[in-house]
Amino acid sequence: MKVVAMIMAGGAGTRLTVLSEKRAKPSVPFAGKYRIIDFTLSNCVNSNIYNIAVLTQYRPHSLNEHIGIGKPWDLDRASGGVRLLQPYQVGGGTQVWYRGTADAVLQNFDYVHEMRAERVLVLGGDHIYKMNYDRMLRFHEENRADLTVAVMEVPLEETDRFGIMSVDDELRISAFHEKPKERDKGNLASMGIYIFNADVLEERLRAGAEEHPDLDFGKHVIPEMIRDFRSFAYRFEGYWVDVGTIDSYWETSMALLDPSSKLKLYDSTWPVRTRSQERPPVKLGPQARIHNSLVANGCIIRGQVERSVLSPGVYVSPGAVVRESVVMNDAWIGPGAVLDKVVVDKEVVVGSGAQLGFGGDFDVANKLGPDKLWMGVSVFGKGAHIPSNVRIGRNVLVNASVEEEAFSPFDGFVPSGETV
Amino acid sequence: MRILAMILAGGSSPALSILTAERAEPSIPFGGKYRIIDFSLSNLINSDIFNVAVLTQYKPRSLNDHIGNGKPWDLDRAVGGVRLLQPYVSGEGEAGAWQRGTADAVRFNLDYIAEQRVDTVLILAGDHIYKMDYRPMLRFHEESNADCTIGVRSVSPYEAHRFGMVGADSSGRVTRFEEKPRRTLSRMASMGIYVFKGSALVDWLTGPGAGDVDFGRHVVPGMLKAGQAMYAHGFDGYWMDAGTVQAYWEANMALLAETPALDLYDPDWVIHTRSEQLAPAFTGAAARVEGSLLCDGCQVFGGVTRSIIGPGAVVEEGAEVSDSIIMNGTVISAGARVERSIIDKRAQVGEGSIVGWGNDPTPNRVMPNQLNTGLTLIGKRAQVPAGLKIGRNVVIRPRVVVSADGGEVASGETL
Repeated sequence: MKVVAMIMAGGAGTRLTVLSEKRAKPSVPFAGKYRIIDFTLSNCVNSNIYNIAVLTQYRPHSLNEHIGIGKPWDLDRASGGVRLLQPYQVGGGTQVWYRGTADAVLQNFDYVHEMRAERVLVLGGDHIYKMNYDRMLRFHEENRADLTVAVMEVPLEETDRFGIMSVDDELRISAFHEKPKERDKGNLASMGIYIFNADVLEERLRAGAEEHPDLDFGKHVIPEMIRDFRSFAYRFEGYWVDVGTIDSYWETSMALLDPSSKLKLYDSTWPVRTRSQERPPVKLGPQARIHNSLVANGCIIRGQVERSVLSPGVYVSPGAVVRESVVMNDAWIGPGAVLDKVVVDKEVVVGSGAQLGFGGDFDVANKLGPDKLWMGVSVFGKGAHIPSNVRIGRNVLVNASVEEEAFSPFDGFVPSGETV
Repeated sequence: MRILAMILAGGSSPALSILTAERAEPSIPFGGKYRIIDFSLSNLINSDIFNVAVLTQYKPRSLNDHIGNGKPWDLDRAVGGVRLLQPYVSGEGEAGAWQRGTADAVRFNLDYIAEQRVDTVLILAGDHIYKMDYRPMLRFHEESNADCTIGVRSVSPYEAHRFGMVGADSSGRVTRFEEKPRRTLSRMASMGIYVFKGSALVDWLTGPGAGDVDFGRHVVPGMLKAGQAMYAHGFDGYWMDAGTVQAYWEANMALLAETPALDLYDPDWVIHTRSEQLAPAFTGAAARVEGSLLCDGCQVFGGVTRSIIGPGAVVEEGAEVSDSIIMNGTVISAGARVERSIIDKRAQVGEGSIVGWGNDPTPNRVMPNQLNTGLTLIGKRAQVPAGLKIGRNVVIRPRVVVSADGGEVASGETL
């Protein structure tokens, strides 16, 4: 059975604010040294799937660089391997962007033909989970299904955030409810992971495209297929999380530090692979204090780090404190600076004595994005320079590459909920 | 200049005890994630030299695994790249034709040099730890039209007896060479790094020096006596021959200084290695770590002071590690104490046991001259049972499962 995986990595992920402003969401760093897409790519190779297409559209540079020819995943292969599929012109000067997830697959259906694939595994590039797709493929075959949708149980009160599947005793899907308001549809939520028979998929995509130019799997393809084709639900039990917002990104990162975390990064039977930079080991100075933290290679810690996740190359000066925070590659934390419940993107420079995440007013939501930042986490965009001794409150958003002058109107204190 | 680098990695280094029991010295882990040979390999590619041969003989398997096709150093190339050269049977009835020394090893591979169509051969040792740009030395070699250029560094007179000492005139031309002299006026020691004019090397090893076995003992003095153009090129950066257990331990501990002489964090001179795919280092809620290096994949739940914790190693809750080197995948169980010790890969230290215990300074009985400073060594995959006390200068050989009988292993023992 020849399978290709198609990973959807083109969405903008706007709710991650500055983290996905200059990169696609699958490329956002996670758990220190990883990118979000590493989990999906590693699942593929750990499930013996080596024909993979990554469909990009929104700011793909960081993702292109990360995936490259796929070496870290052993996807630099003579036959198959990983292919990055960008939007392209169709001739006559017409520029056609991908208008929906299913539209993106349709525009690249040549790839499926070229690979002579009989099954198409459609995956999201922005979920963090460990899953053996091989078992799901076997389930698909055993049921002689045309479509298999991976589902997981969610709490009943959250069913309005998901596509909910109603199934019979044999797990055949009888109905699909997109974000139902009522609580009586069951609690099996679609994870956005689908296996299609390639011929059926092509036929459905071509038929659907005539009606809906913005053809989408969740909105159009799946509901229609459930009516007319053998569609089954594959139950997944295990760790799965969609870090769609800054708050869930921060919470998921903090959950890694819990020894009982379900996401086992140290499990050698299911390694998560990534493109690692060549960096020396973590260095702890004589006065360093560190506990309950995840620290990647190349960090130098001379201050205090607790309950935090540090990416490669972070420098924590003597006297600095990093608490309940996520700090990405090569950030520099000056002497005496205090970071409390913040997310700091790459190459941010924090001046000495600055206090990031200051005060107790966690519930003052961000004024410009109250739906995105309201749990007390402040975010600092890539390459921002934070002046010395400035105090910055909660739910503050500092944009990427902000220079020190941008802080002068605040006179040393940025109140909670502001945006710089 | 078309350059071929040959790294000599075949020696047996018995002074390193358990560290070389199952591997060649260039393959010993260093600084947590590195191997000693990474420094020579990284120096080469950082000096834009991409044609490299590694000559092996003694227990090469670990080295073969590590170098593989050379990917981590970008030496997996269509042209050039890295080759591993093993001893071979020539088929001319030369039974047992093992290589007897450094020069002998190169002589065995003269046909390889000829095949490469190179005009310059850079000879390196695989067991030195240093960061060196070879390009100035190569330029100097070319400008002086030398037959051989020797890399030298200044050493204190007390160390002279360990090295080949070089005397040179103001142009750098070598006038004197003394191998391990008891007393000498010279302050310049050979680093075991040589640049040869390709033809001069081939002619010598097949002609006048056909019986030469070692570069330092035979080839260099011989060529000098024969009046060939020999030059010395000074190097003043960090250089270390970790040829003894004590020197190895000291070189590792020196990395823990605030600004170590060997800077591993320099983005302009990256040391490349084959890294395992491992998660970031994790420190538990009760962990205390200071003055130490932690590698990817290690998990620390106890206390670590002035130590190096290798990839994937685990220090369980209540365990205390100080002034020690813990290599890949080794587990220090709950409540155990490890002091001034080197514990090789994938060893187990049982709950509540003590490695490096007491004040009895008895030197190791098997190798009293090498192991007398209080360092305790535990070999690869050895197992120390719960509750055992192991004294100083003790050697536990690889794969030994120590019995808990008696409750202690006295200082100076070897198991």
